[in-house]
Amino acid sequence: MVDVSQHELVPEHTVLDEDTLEEVLEDYEIDRTELPKIKRKDPALPDDAEVGDVVKIVRDSRTTDEAIVYRLVIE
Amino acid sequence: MSAGQAPKEIGEISFGLMDPEEYRDMSATKVITADTYDDDGFPIDMGLMDPRLGVIDPGLECKTCGQRSGSCNGHFGHIELAAPVIHVGFSKLIRRLLRGTCRECANLLLTEEEKDEYRDDLERTKSLRQDVSDVMTAAIREARKKDHCPHCGEVQYDVKHEKPTTYYEVQQVLASDYSERIAASMQPDEDEDDAGISPQELAEQTDIDISRINEILSGEFRPRREDREAIEAAIGADLTTEDMNKLMPSDIRDWFEDIPGEDLEALGVDAERSRPEWMILTVLPVPPVTARPSITLDNGQRSEDDLTHKLVDIIRINQRFMENREAGAPQLIIEDLWELLQYHVTTFMDNEISGTPPARHRSGRPLKTLSQRLKGKEGRFRGSLSGKRVNFSARTVISPDPTLSLNEVGVPDRVATEMTQTMVVNEKNLERARRYVRNGPEGHPGANYVTRPDGRRVRVTEKVCEELAERVEPGWEVQRHLIDGDIIIFNRQPSLHRMSIMAHEVVVMPYKTFRLNTVVCPPYNADFDGDEMNMHALQNEEARAEARVLMRVQEQILSPRFGENIIGAIQDHISGTYLLTHDNPQFNETQASDLLRQTRIDELPDPAGISEDTGEPYWEGRQLFSELLPDDLNLEFTGTTGEPVVIEDGQLVEGTIAEDEVGGFGGEIVDTITKVHGNTRARIFINEVAALAMRSIMHFGFSIGIDDETVSVEARERIDEAIQSAYDRVQELIETYENGDLESLPGRTVDETLEMKIMQTLGKARDSAGDVAEENFAEDNPAVVMANSGARGSMLNLTQMAGCVGQQAVRGERINRGYEDRTLSHFEPNDLSSEAHGFVENSYTSGLTPKEFFFHAMGGREGLVDTAVRTSKSGYLQRRLINALSELETQYDGTVRDTSDTIVQFEFGEDGTSPVQVSSDDEVDIDVDHVADRILNSEFDSDDEKAEFLGVQEPPTNLSEHGAAWEVESDD
Repeated sequence: MVDVSQHELVPEHTVLDEDTLEEVLEDYEIDRTELPKIKRKDPALPDDAEVGDVVKIVRDSRTTDEAIVYRLVIE
Repeated sequence: MSAGQAPKEIGEISFGLMDPEEYRDMSATKVITADTYDDDGFPIDMGLMDPRLGVIDPGLECKTCGQRSGSCNGHFGHIELAAPVIHVGFSKLIRRLLRGTCRECANLLLTEEEKDEYRDDLERTKSLRQDVSDVMTAAIREARKKDHCPHCGEVQYDVKHEKPTTYYEVQQVLASDYSERIAASMQPDEDEDDAGISPQELAEQTDIDISRINEILSGEFRPRREDREAIEAAIGADLTTEDMNKLMPSDIRDWFEDIPGEDLEALGVDAERSRPEWMILTVLPVPPVTARPSITLDNGQRSEDDLTHKLVDIIRINQRFMENREAGAPQLIIEDLWELLQYHVTTFMDNEISGTPPARHRSGRPLKTLSQRLKGKEGRFRGSLSGKRVNFSARTVISPDPTLSLNEVGVPDRVATEMTQTMVVNEKNLERARRYVRNGPEGHPGANYVTRPDGRRVRVTEKVCEELAERVEPGWEVQRHLIDGDIIIFNRQPSLHRMSIMAHEVVVMPYKTFRLNTVVCPPYNADFDGDEMNMHALQNEEARAEARVLMRVQEQILSPRFGENIIGAIQDHISGTYLLTHDNPQFNETQASDLLRQTRIDELPDPAGISEDTGEPYWEGRQLFSELLPDDLNLEFTGTTGEPVVIEDGQLVEGTIAEDEVGGFGGEIVDTITKVHGNTRARIFINEVAALAMRSIMHFGFSIGIDDETVSVEARERIDEAIQSAYDRVQELIETYENGDLESLPGRTVDETLEMKIMQTLGKARDSAGDVAEENFAEDNPAVVMANSGARGSMLNLTQMAGCVGQQAVRGERINRGYEDRTLSHFEPNDLSSEAHGFVENSYTSGLTPKEFFFHAMGGREGLVDTAVRTSKSGYLQRRLINALSELETQYDGTVRDTSDTIVQFEFGEDGTSPVQVSSDDEVDIDVDHVADRILNSEFDSDDEKAEFLGVQEPPTNLSEHGAAWEVESDD
């Protein structure tokens, strides 16, 4: 089987630890449910991501080198 | 909330079902008679037009609230239904509840643990702002799997829903011919290897007593369920039929009344607000008469609204139902009437239900009932609420006017006298206000209304205008006509991007069309073949300020689509600048000043030299063009013609000015001026380039005729030769193919290879014909000038006109369709030659043969169909995209969020920048220091002469910006 998460077009997904998550949520003044969502069975997710976790996705961007997006893992 | 009192402020809206008691409470009267008016034309009491339901005739007083027509919104009445009926809008929800709850105890068919699970699920889904109805679907699906109620143990049956409003309970019962069925499957089958089964064997297999088996076989004893299943297993036959037991609305209502509230909560239904039994109607609200007004026709006859007609039907059947029931009519008749009542109530709410014949008017037209009033493009939502008609708007044909600035629009005087602007009178503008009023509603800068300080509005008429003018004092408001310099909004449909709606300054003009500068055609996608455009006069200061700052044409020069200018020189402007700068021609003083006449340049630069022929000084084209450039402009790039364009300190040193230099859609010079020198400078530049180009094209003269596309005899021969040799090569290819010698290309069949090679050969033939034609045309040929400058057309168009039209294609292949094995009956079957498959060897000037013409039409048709399909597809796609994105908004923290504050993008467009504020070119780094220096310098100057700095105006383009004239006139 092909491991999709290793493909060069799939950006890096990392699970955010609670402290950084707090900071992020405070930064944007939001609740974690207001984040964009990602399904648990999404093949790009790291194996240790669980429902309720927030993943940080670092994408390559044409204009800003890196674009950071946070997503809440749901069922 | 009692009827007629609308709340002033809305704190919250909740949706739910309505209690029948609430219908009765808010009802102004019970309606019992199906008649509307009596013989004298008075509304009948407790009829459908009861005066307590509101008034529609002017002068009458509402019997409920005492207000008159216009101020009384009307009041609901009610009909007591003789028997409960199902509300069609909830038929799906009713079906779900029937399937998910116990037929005996009405509990949800889930264990307590399962209920808790779904409650948690509901909670989670709500907090994630996802669709709650998915949870209900899942819960019902789970509940339906249960055969027995987990609470009372009752056996559950399947519920069948026959659309729209009938429900059946389906039970499996023993078929009446069970003994025959058993006997038939016990018989040995001769064809197959079925030995049959004897009663003894059956008794052994099923553990049923042999005497009982015999009784069953003779039809004397009906087997119980367990025995039946045992026999079915043994003989492999089905002994049951479906028994459909109809659930009457009253049964369903009783069933739903017993569903416990906490069970409903597990499904996401708020039991306090929406009891499920309320989905079965016992009372029908009667809309107020104001919602279904009757019209009096010319002959004095009254014509009733569709809703009233429907209500008449409902009341009639309702009464018949009651009479029949009281008279003790047979059950069959009662059921028929019940069904009829259900039909009328159903069509009263929705007359477009599939499977139900729509209720019709006497004329055969389907009635427009409640749901039809709301649905669709013309419905209440899309037609009346989001798509309202507006005042202060005008629509007429557009025509070009190159003397206008691109910021302006010519408004016909008869539009200007109709559209007004509010002018608050004070000491300073008193005289002007009086003058407007004195001019009256007919004379141009006039006025239509005045408002006195006490709020009374007085119409200005020809008769009273003189007198009224004297009474105007500070504090009054005057509705004055549009005058030059007013700002209005101008729009052309389809409004596909934001440049489809832009703000323009008014120039009042005679005649009946809107006039606009041709350079604003690309953003509106307008031409002058009969296009119409809409104008909206703005009605308050905020709107006017916003329009002037954000929406004015000059603010829209850069397109957010690609970050380059979308406004610039087009068509003849480009031909004009090309003629002016390509060969850098010389002009004498008169000619030079004539060229620059419409620009703000009022002094010629130093001449470029002294003419040797005449001894007079002369000026060069590039030099004259340079007069329009900002003095500090420095640019170097490869231009339209492939030659470098060099601008040093605002002087065009080298190069031709054409499309890539000053055109719309990314003209380098326009783009740079807009980004470096600002929108105002860019507007002036574009206006002046257009003016100079028009003068220049008029100086040189520019026309095109048949002779410009005709090649010499010698060239024609060479073209024919090229085509002939291509024909020969095609013939060779066909021969190799027929001999079976053609080698196929990788991944293609031999047939495909042949087709490809023929297409290639013929393509080359057309190109070489084009090359010959191109050689034959002079550089100053108008068609060549247009193609080279990018003004209009291409060398391909020229090739087709002069050389050879070339291969026609349908679906990217040579033309292959038509008759069996051939395209037209003029050819032999299986003819592979080029002329039989749509190669047009003639040019448009030489004319096409009938066969060629036909093939050409085939190719042309495909193009037309494609455009038609593309526009409708992309239009729909765009509508859906816009609906999906319309509520997204960039917040002050840089995130993009929807209305529920969910983040869509963490940084607008990943980089938080607007495409129009950013360099579109990767190669050119923005010289931030230079820009900063320039701004600082200008700031320093202002320190010394601050008063003067504040007084500085945007330089006028002197193209009909009626500078002094409108500054005096305008009061804003």
